[in-house]
Amino acid sequence: MPDSTRAEFLLEIGCEEMPAPWLPGLREQLAQRFGEAAEREHLKPAEVRSAGTPRRLVLGADVLGRQEDREEKVWGPSLKVARDAEGKWTSAAQGFARKSGVAPEALAQEARNPAAPSERNLVFVKKTAGRASLDVLPALVASLLRSLAFPKRMSWDAWLEDGKGAFPFGRPIRWLVALLDGKVVPITIYELEKGAKGRAIVDSGDVSFGHRFLPRGAAGRPLRVRSYADLEARLEEAFVVLDPAQRERRIREGLAAAAGTAPKDDHGLVDEWRDLVEYPTVVVGRIPAEFRALPREVLETVLVHHQKYIPLSEASAVTRFAAVTNTDARFADAMVRGMERVVVARLRDAAFFYGEDRKRPLAERVPDLAGVTFHQGLGTYADKVARLTRLVDAMGADLGLLTRPEHDVAREAARLAKADLTTLMVREFPELQGVMGGIYLTVEGGQWEGVARAVRWHYHPLSVEEEAAPKGAVEGSDATVFGAVSLADKLDSVAGYFGLGLAPTGSSDPYGLRRAAQGAVRVLLDFWHAGPDEKRPSLRRLVAAAISGYEGHLKRPAAEVERELEAFFLDRLRYVLVARGYPADEVESVLGARDPDALDDPHEAWLRLKALHRVRSEAHEDFEHLAVAFKRAKNILGEQKAAAVDAGLLIEAAERELHAAVARLSAANGAYEGRLRALAGLRAPVDRFFDDVLVMAEDEKIRANRLGLLSQALSLFYRIADISKLGGQA
Amino acid sequence: MTARRPEGPTLQDVIATLQAYWAERGCLVAQPWDAEVGAGTMHPETFLRVLGPKPWRVAYVQPSRRPADGRYGENPNRLYKHLQLQVILKPAPADVQDVYLKSLAALGIDPAAHDVRFEEDNWESPTLGAWGIGWQVLLDGQEITQFTYFQQAGGIDLAPISAEITYGLERITMYLQDVEDVYELRWSADRLYADVRKEEEYELSRYSFELADVDLHRLLFDRALAEGWRVLKAGDRTVLPAYDWCLKSSHAFNVLDARGAISVSQRAGMILGIRKLACAIAERCVAPAEGDVARA
Repeated sequence: MPDSTRAEFLLEIGCEEMPAPWLPGLREQLAQRFGEAAEREHLKPAEVRSAGTPRRLVLGADVLGRQEDREEKVWGPSLKVARDAEGKWTSAAQGFARKSGVAPEALAQEARNPAAPSERNLVFVKKTAGRASLDVLPALVASLLRSLAFPKRMSWDAWLEDGKGAFPFGRPIRWLVALLDGKVVPITIYELEKGAKGRAIVDSGDVSFGHRFLPRGAAGRPLRVRSYADLEARLEEAFVVLDPAQRERRIREGLAAAAGTAPKDDHGLVDEWRDLVEYPTVVVGRIPAEFRALPREVLETVLVHHQKYIPLSEASAVTRFAAVTNTDARFADAMVRGMERVVVARLRDAAFFYGEDRKRPLAERVPDLAGVTFHQGLGTYADKVARLTRLVDAMGADLGLLTRPEHDVAREAARLAKADLTTLMVREFPELQGVMGGIYLTVEGGQWEGVARAVRWHYHPLSVEEEAAPKGAVEGSDATVFGAVSLADKLDSVAGYFGLGLAPTGSSDPYGLRRAAQGAVRVLLDFWHAGPDEKRPSLRRLVAAAISGYEGHLKRPAAEVERELEAFFLDRLRYVLVARGYPADEVESVLGARDPDALDDPHEAWLRLKALHRVRSEAHEDFEHLAVAFKRAKNILGEQKAAAVDAGLLIEAAERELHAAVARLSAANGAYEGRLRALAGLRAPVDRFFDDVLVMAEDEKIRANRLGLLSQALSLFYRIADISKLGGQA
Repeated sequence: MTARRPEGPTLQDVIATLQAYWAERGCLVAQPWDAEVGAGTMHPETFLRVLGPKPWRVAYVQPSRRPADGRYGENPNRLYKHLQLQVILKPAPADVQDVYLKSLAALGIDPAAHDVRFEEDNWESPTLGAWGIGWQVLLDGQEITQFTYFQQAGGIDLAPISAEITYGLERITMYLQDVEDVYELRWSADRLYADVRKEEEYELSRYSFELADVDLHRLLFDRALAEGWRVLKAGDRTVLPAYDWCLKSSHAFNVLDARGAISVSQRAGMILGIRKLACAIAERCVAPAEGDVARA
C-alpha cells in the first residue's frame, strides 16, 4: 500500500570536541549529503537542516515514511522483430518475456519514439514497491557517516558494518541519536579489533547528553528526546545552545554588555568563538596599566593569536580584553583572574623583551645578522641584506625605476629590514617580524619616515586580493619604496631557492615560494607607483638582476634558473589574476599579448585584462566569432614569417575591405577599452574574408599577401590580448 | 567550592595524588627514564609500548629537558627542565575524557567552577616519526594538559590507539597554589621549587647557551646515531640500547639547537637522521628479529 505519510528524521552525532574551524563546513556537508542520499533513496527529503556544536552534529529532515513505489520501463524488441510473419511470438520476444518473468502477452506495447507512434516495442513495466523508511535509513546513515570529509581524520579503533570496515572520523563518536518519528533507527558502530569487527561500542538510541559540567550536580545525565524541537529544548535546559546563529547572538550581546560597546575589530574571533563552545558567556579582564604602553601590535599578538581574546580599547589604549567561556557567569570572577594571570605572564615577557630590545638602536644590530643563517646554501642574513641593497641599487641606478630620493630611502630600508630578527621580541613572536623593525625605528626617530614604513610592511603583501594589506598604509612614492624592498626580498629568496634546486613541487612548498612570488606580482600590480613618464618595472629584468645578485654562487646554471623563474612567475601571475575572479581564457589571452609581454610589464597585463573583460561582456558574440576566426588564422599562419602586404595584390572585395579596416585600426592608440571596442568591429570584415577569400591561393605571391594581411590583423590584437585563446566559457 | 586554596597542595602532593589516582585505574607506576629526554613521550614505556596490539597502562613522572627554553632561573614561567606526569592508556577507553576530568577533581579542581576546555592541538614529534590528534586542555585560559590520541609512532600506524595524557606539573601546581612565579612553588611543606631547582636552572642554562662545546656535540650527535645503528644491527635483543643511543643523539641535537649552531637546512637533515633510527627501532619492535623478545 503506498504510504505518502511523512515523518521526521533526527540524527545527532555526539563527539568528543571537534575543532571550531571545521564546524561550518561539517554542518553544511551533513545537510547536503543527507539531502542527496535521501533523494537517491526515494525518500523525498524536505526541510533538511543541520546544526551543531564542538560536541555534536545534528540533522533534521522531513522524509517519506515509506519510499515511493517506482515503475521503470524495460524496453524489449520492436514488434517487427517480436512477431513472425504468422503473428507468432519470435524467440526474441519469448526470451525477453522470460527474462522479465511474464508471458509475452502480459508485456505492454509502446512507441519508443513519440514522433513515430506506429513503431512500437515490447515493454516490461518493472514495479518496485517502496520499503519502509525505517528499514532504508540505517544503511543511509552509515554511508552518511562514512562520507563526511574532515580536514584531518583520526583512527579511533572503530568499525562500521558498511562493507568498508575500519571507520576513521574527525573525533571519536560517543553517542548517536537516530529517530524517525520518535522510533529508533538502529545503527551500530563496532570496535576495530585486530583489524576486524569487535564488540559494539556505540548503539543509536533516543538519548542525548548536555553540557559537560552544567547544570552543576546534574551534568552528564541522559536526556531522552523524541524530535528535533524536543532535542533543541532539552539541550537548552542542559546548557547547550544548539543553533550556531543563536550562539553568535549570545556572544554579540554578551560582548556589547561586557565591553560597554561593541568592539571595533573582533579580529574574526566571534566566528571562531561561536564554534568553540556550547554555552557561550563573555567575560572581560583588565590589562594592568604597566602594559598599556606596549605597542598595539604586541598586545594584539599576545591577546588575539595566543589567547583568542578580543582587545578592548579606551582612548586608543588597549585596557581590557574580552574572552568567551563555555559556562555560565557564576564563577566568572575566578575565571577572569585565571585568564589575567596568563595574559600578565605573557605580557611581562613581552615588556621585558621590548625594554631589552630598545637598549640598542636597530641599526647597531645589522652586523649581528652575520650570525643568523638564512639558509645554509644561501648564506647568512648579512649576506641576504647585502644582496637586497644591491638589488635596490639595480632598480635605482641600472634600471632607472626609482627617483634619487626613493632610491636613498629604499636602500636604507633594505639595510635595516632584517635587523629585527635578532631582537628578543621577534625571537619570541616570529609573526612580528618586520612589524617590530618598523616600531623600533619609529620610536627611535631620526629616520626618514618611509624607511620605517617599508621595513614594517616588507614581508607583505601576503594575500592576493587587490585591497589586502598594505593597501592604504603605503601611498605614492612610499608605495614604490615599500615595493622596491618587498620585491627585492621576495625575488632574492625565490631566485636563491630555485638556484639550489629547491623549487616547490606539487603540494609541497616548504619555503613559501609560491606565496612570495605572488607577493612580488602583487607589488607590481597594485603598489608600484609610476608617473606617466616614469619607467615601470620589468619582472623579467628584475628576475635577471636577482639571479646576478648571487654573483655566480648558485649551484645551478644561471640561464636554466632564469628560464624556470620566468615560467614560475608567469604561472603565479596567472594564479593571482584568476584568483581575482577573471575567467581563465581571458587571463590566458592577455598573458599571450606582446610589446610589452606580461613578464615585461605585469601591470599592463592587469590593465589589459580589466579592459578585455569589460568589452567582451558588452560584445560577447563578436568576440566569440573573432576568437574562432583567429584560431583559424593562427592555424593557417603556423610558424611561418608573414610578408608585408602589397595593396596592389589585393583582388577580392573582402580582402580589400579587411585591409582597409586593419589600416584604420593600426593607427588607433590610447586606452585599451576604446581600442578593443574598435577591434570588435573587425568581426564582419574578418568573417567575410574567410567566407569569400581562398587564403591558400595557387599563386604564391597572392597567397603570401593574404597571409601577410591575416598576420597584420592578428597583430592588432596581440598588443592587447591573444584573442584566439578565448572560448569555451561564457 | 572553588578549587584554589590559599595554601594549595604541594608539588609532591600533586604527584602523589595523580600517581595514586592512575594506579587505582590500573596503571603501572613507572619511574622516570634515566636519560636526558625532551618529553615523557620519549620514555620507552611510552614509545615502545604504544606499538603493537598488547594492552598497556602506565603513569610516571618524567623530567623533560628543553635546552632552548632555559632562562638562567630568571623567568617565572620557563624552564630548561620541567616535570611532566605522563599517562598512557592503551587502548583508549571510551570514557577517557571523563576519567581525565575526574583526576582534576582529585586534585581539588572542580571543572564546574572553572572554564575547562578541550581545544584542538595536534601533537607531532618529527624526530620520533610520531604524531597524534588531540587537544590542549585549558583551565581558565591556562594550558594544563596535553591530551593526544596517538596515530603513529616510529612511522608505524598504531592499532589499537593509545591515549596519552601529559600533565604540566609546575603549571597545574602553580594554579593550585595561586603562585605566579614557578620558583615560589612549594615543592614540599618546607621547601620551595627555588630551593630545589633554581641553581640547577642557572647552571644548565649557562652550559647550554654559553659553554657547550659545539664541535663535541656535533661529534656526539653523529657517534650516537652511528652507535645506535651498530647496536641495532648487532643481532637479537638490542632494541633498548639502540633506543638509548637514539635518545642521546636527540639530546645532542637539542643542545646544538640552543647554542644556535644549527641552520635551517641542517636541522631538517639531523631530524631525519634521528627519525630514521627511531623508525628502524619501532620496526624491530613490531616485527622482532629472530631471537628478539616480543615486546609490543
